[in-house]
Amino acid sequence: MKSAVTTVVAAADAAGRFPSMSDIEAVKGSFDRASSRMQAAEKLAAGIDKVTADAVDAVYGKGTYEQANKDKCARDIHHYLRLINYCLVTGGTGPLDEWGIAGMREVIRAQVLPTVAYIEAFTHIRDRVCVPRDMDEQAAAEFKGLLDYLINALA
Amino acid sequence: MLDAFSRAVVAADAKGSPIGTNELASLRKYVSDANKRIDATLAITQNVSCIAADAVAGMVCENTGMTQPGGNCYPTRRMAACLRDGEIILRYVSYALLAGDPSILDDRCLNGLKETYMALGVPTANAVRAVEIMKAATVAIMTETNSGRKMFEGINSGSGAQCQEIAAEAASYFDRVISSIS
Repeated sequence: MKSAVTTVVAAADAAGRFPSMSDIEAVKGSFDRASSRMQAAEKLAAGIDKVTADAVDAVYGKGTYEQANKDKCARDIHHYLRLINYCLVTGGTGPLDEWGIAGMREVIRAQVLPTVAYIEAFTHIRDRVCVPRDMDEQAAAEFKGLLDYLINALA
Repeated sequence: MLDAFSRAVVAADAKGSPIGTNELASLRKYVSDANKRIDATLAITQNVSCIAADAVAGMVCENTGMTQPGGNCYPTRRMAACLRDGEIILRYVSYALLAGDPSILDDRCLNGLKETYMALGVPTANAVRAVEIMKAATVAIMTETNSGRKMFEGINSGSGAQCQEIAAEAASYFDRVISSIS
């Protein structure tokens, strides 16, 4: 699982050397950012159902759709937000890459799903993050960065 | 390969729930202890050759036949292999300590190590003794109970007494090595 620390350790191991000062600086840098990442993860975990519902409403608008359809959309958005929560905790994109993005394109194509709708949902979530109501500025930057990463993967 | 953070993620994913306040508490402790962790890692990396050489020398002193013809550390080529393995084990312990998780040690160092040693005819009882000495030396350096230069000497942040917990964690990684090859 790729995270801030494992990336550094894997590189050191590939070279067969002990953690060097620059490795340790890199790890320390990620620890310094960890508190804002964890704040973002905590707030997202607390509000994940609300955020999901809000995004689904924004995507479907006022039209009438089958509830089953909307439920599936909510499930998927909830899933991706959960992975973003994990990425915030690890400090790397490992969870999204391994459990969210790998194979995503094939699955979406096979089921003829509109990726535009997901992009719309995540863009809505990204634009709705309010500083300092939801989280502080650095936390919001980490969260938005990961949302952008996912949007780029879907696009 | 996991670290303290990804370990929490794998556990949460098995339940299908996001990581909330409760799970974050232990990770916040990990982050707040980051400086100790880094100091402890440096305690290993800055004393590698000393720790490994002392351990191998100690092992040989207790079994003087090892360096005689027919012994497992004769000729010097085999003694050198022993020193190299000591440093490799220290390297993986330092990775595990930095990551706060033993998976890298298990996956990349200990998996198959006993079988390799048996195939090569390495006496595992002696190897265990060398690892025990490395464990004692590492803990002593981290907690400043060693003789000679103290880790925090001339540095006004931290002390050996504050590193008890992290030294215990490092000791647990050495115990993993011992139990896997004995």
